[in-house]
Amino acid sequence: MLSHREDNTQRIAAMNEAAEALGLRVGLGIADARAMHPDLEVLEADPVGDERLLTRLADWCDHFTPLVAIDGYDGLLLDISGCAHLFGGEDALLQEVVRRLAAQGFDARAGLAPTPGMAWAAARFSGRAAVNIPAGGEGEALTPMPLAALRIAEEAQRKLESVGLRRVGALLNAPRGPLVRRFGRLLVTRLDQALGLVEEAISPRLPVPPLSVERRLGEPISLLDDIKDLLLLLARTLRQDLERRGEGVRQLTLSLFRVDGVVSRISVSTSRPLREPQAIALLFREKFAVLEDSLDPGQGFELVRLAAASTAPYVEKQEDLHGDAVVVEDERFSLMVDRLRARLGDAAVMMPTPAESHIPERQAEFMSFRDWVRQPARSGAHRFVMNGRGSGGAAAAVQQEEVTWSVSPRPLRLLARPELVEAAAEVPEGPPFSFRWRKALYRVSRAEGPERIEPEWWREAAISAARDYFRVEDMEGRRFWLFREGTYDGETMPRWYLHGLFP
Amino acid sequence: MARTATAQEQLFALRQQIARIEGTQPERLEGGRAGGEEVEKADDSAGMLVRRNHPAGLFPLGVVELDEALGGGLPRAALIEIIGRQTRDAAVAAGFSLALAAIARKGSGSQSPLLWIGLSNFFFETGLPYAPGFTRLFGITSDRLLLVHPKRIEDALWVAEEAAIQNQFGAILLELQGNPAKLTLTATRRLSHRARAAGYPLFLIRHAGEEEPTAASTRFQVSSAASTLRETIAGTVPRSIGPPAFAVTLTRSRTGKEGTFVLEWNSHDLTFEERQPVRGKPLQLDTIHAADTGNLAAASGNGSHPASQARNGLAAGRQKAG
Repeated sequence: MLSHREDNTQRIAAMNEAAEALGLRVGLGIADARAMHPDLEVLEADPVGDERLLTRLADWCDHFTPLVAIDGYDGLLLDISGCAHLFGGEDALLQEVVRRLAAQGFDARAGLAPTPGMAWAAARFSGRAAVNIPAGGEGEALTPMPLAALRIAEEAQRKLESVGLRRVGALLNAPRGPLVRRFGRLLVTRLDQALGLVEEAISPRLPVPPLSVERRLGEPISLLDDIKDLLLLLARTLRQDLERRGEGVRQLTLSLFRVDGVVSRISVSTSRPLREPQAIALLFREKFAVLEDSLDPGQGFELVRLAAASTAPYVEKQEDLHGDAVVVEDERFSLMVDRLRARLGDAAVMMPTPAESHIPERQAEFMSFRDWVRQPARSGAHRFVMNGRGSGGAAAAVQQEEVTWSVSPRPLRLLARPELVEAAAEVPEGPPFSFRWRKALYRVSRAEGPERIEPEWWREAAISAARDYFRVEDMEGRRFWLFREGTYDGETMPRWYLHGLFP
Repeated sequence: MARTATAQEQLFALRQQIARIEGTQPERLEGGRAGGEEVEKADDSAGMLVRRNHPAGLFPLGVVELDEALGGGLPRAALIEIIGRQTRDAAVAAGFSLALAAIARKGSGSQSPLLWIGLSNFFFETGLPYAPGFTRLFGITSDRLLLVHPKRIEDALWVAEEAAIQNQFGAILLELQGNPAKLTLTATRRLSHRARAAGYPLFLIRHAGEEEPTAASTRFQVSSAASTLRETIAGTVPRSIGPPAFAVTLTRSRTGKEGTFVLEWNSHDLTFEERQPVRGKPLQLDTIHAADTGNLAAASGNGSHPASQARNGLAAGRQKAG
C-alpha cells in the first residue's frame, strides 16, 4: 500500500489486490486503515519516480508506434493507426502489449478503440485486461460505464449524479441543449470525442520523425559490430526513401530497444543534407567510440530503428565538370567536420564569427560549427567554400564579406576575459612602466597608445567605463594588450587589465 | 607484415638512441648508407623510414641563411615542431606557426582552411585566436579557420590524425602544453606519417615544452624578440612597437644544421626578414634612439626571468652593435 499526504493527513494513494480485498479504498486515511488492519504495510508514494517509470515505459512503447503520449500519471496513449498490421492485426497487437507489459511486471489494462476517449474509458472501466472496441461500437460500450469514463471533473460528475444520472447510457440519448446549459460544454465535448463525432488529437511525447526505418530481430544482438552492420543496412533502406523524396537528412536518431525494455537513443546531426549510407555509418561510428563504455547491451537489442528526425532538400550533384569536384570536396569536408562533432560534441568545433562591433570581445566571438552553417546566409554568401572555389562564385562574395577591422594592431590571442593586473604608470594618462600579471612582474620597455574604445551604450544594460588600450612590449620582447578603465580623479584609482597577447 | 613492422619500430628506436648518444640526427645515420636507404625504399612502400622523400617538396622561408640551414626550405608535407619557451609566450609560438603556414599557403596558392586544435583548458588559459589579429597579421580570414578544442589530449591527437587523413585542410596546428605523457614517440611518428601522406604541414606547437625525441622533421625553439621601431614615411616613431619579431633557434633539421635567427614578420607581404646585426637604414635610425632601448635593456639585468637573459642580451647587443 502506498500513502501520500493530502490536507495534512496521510491517505491511501494506491494499493494492491490484497488490500482491496480487505475493503479499503483509495483516499481513506492511513490512521483509519491501520485501525482496521494493524498489519498493513505502508510506503510513501514517489510521484517523481512514478513519472520517470512512466516515461521509460513510454520510450519502450515506441516499439509499437512512434506516436506515444503520456496520459496523466498512470496512462499511456498510443496512436497505432497504420501500425497494427505489423503485429498481425489489432487484437494481436493488443495481446502483445499486455503480455509484454505483464512480463515486465506491470498489471496493465488496455483498451483499443477508434477514438482516444473511448480507448481511455475502455482501458479503465471495461473491467477486462484488454478490450478491443470496433468502430461503431462506442455507444454500446459506453452505456454501462460510470460517468467517470467521460473524463469529466469530479464536481460535474457529482452534480450529474445528484439528478440521478449515474451511467453514460443515461446521457447518450438525453437532449443536448439542457445538458450544455446545466453541466457545461466540456461534458458534451467529451461525449462526442468518445463517440468519434469530434476529432481529438493526442500530443506525442517525442516529435514524430518524417522518415524512419527499423529492423526487428528474432535473435537479439549485443555486439557493437552487429549493430554497425545493421545500421548500414538501415541506412541503405533509408537512402531509398530519401531519394524518393529528394531529400537528405540533417539529423538522425538511432534507437536501440533492449530486450528488457530500456531504450537507448543516439543522435547525430549533419551540416549538410546527407544520404550516403557509408557516411551515416561513419558518423555513428564516432558516437559509438565515445559511448562504447556507457552503451550497455544487457541481454541484447531486439529492435533497432533509424529515424531521420529532420530532413532538408538534397542538392543533386552538378553535372558540370568543374562544379562536380567542388561539391564532392565540400561534401567530404562537411562529413569530416560532422565526424569531429559527433565525437567531440557540438561545442568543441567552432568557427570565428566576427560581429560588427568595436568592442574587442564582440569581434572575437566564436560560434559552434553547427550554428555557423545554419545561420541565415548573411548577404547570401555565408557558406563554407573549399579551396576558394565555391559553386556559384560564392568565393568572391566571402572575400568581400569579411568585416573590416580597425587599423590599429590587434593581438593574436584574446583572453577569455580581461584579467586584472597591478600596474604602475608614470603619468596618470600614460602607459604603465611595469605590471604584475599572474604573479609575474613585467617591465615595460616600450608602449603605444592610448587607443580609446568607448562602450556600446546602446547594447549594454549597465553603463561601463571607456577603455584606453595600450600596446606594450616588455624587456624580453613580449608584447601585450593592456587597457585602463577609469581615470585618476583624486579618489578612485583606474584599473588596469590585460586583454590580449601579440606574437 | 606485423613482424616487419615491429622490427622497423625497434630499428627506429635504436637509431634514435644512437643519435641521442652521438648527439646527431637519426637521418644522418641513415644518410651514411645511401645504398641501404635504397633498399628500404623498395621494401617499405609506405615510406615510413624514407625520410628524404618529401613528395610535396620544400617551401623556402625567404631568409637566405635559414633556408640554407634547412637545406632549401621547410618540407611542405611534414611534422614541424615548434617549442615555445613559456606558456606566457603562447602568442609567439602560435604566431610563428601561423607565419609558416601563411608562407606555405602563399606558395601553393591554396585557400584551404586551417585547422587549429588545442585543449579547451589551454585556450581558456591563454586565450582564443582573435580574428582581427590573425586576419591582419597572417592574411587568414575568419572563414578559413576551424577551431577544435577537445578536452582530452587523446582526442586532440585523434583529430589531428583524422584531419590529416581526410586531407581537407591547408595546414594543421596542434597546440599542446609541456611534455604530455600521451604524446609518445610513436604518436609523433603517426602524426609525421599522416602529414607526409596528406601533403601539407602539421605544426606541433608545444608551449613550455622540453626538447624530447619526436619524429618531427624540423624543430624550432621560438621566443619573442624585442621589436624594432615602427617606421612611417616621416621616419621612425620613438618608443613605438614595430612588426612582430621572433627569436628562432633551429634545433633539428634534415641537414642537421642548427642556428639562431631573429626574424621579423612582414604582415603585408607575408614574408620573413632576418634582422642582421649590421644593416642599412632601419637599424641606423634605430641607434638614434639607442638611449631608449639601451638603457632599458640594461635594466633587464634586474628582471625576473634570468633564464631568458642570454637571448635577450643577444638581441639587444645586436641592436647596439648596429
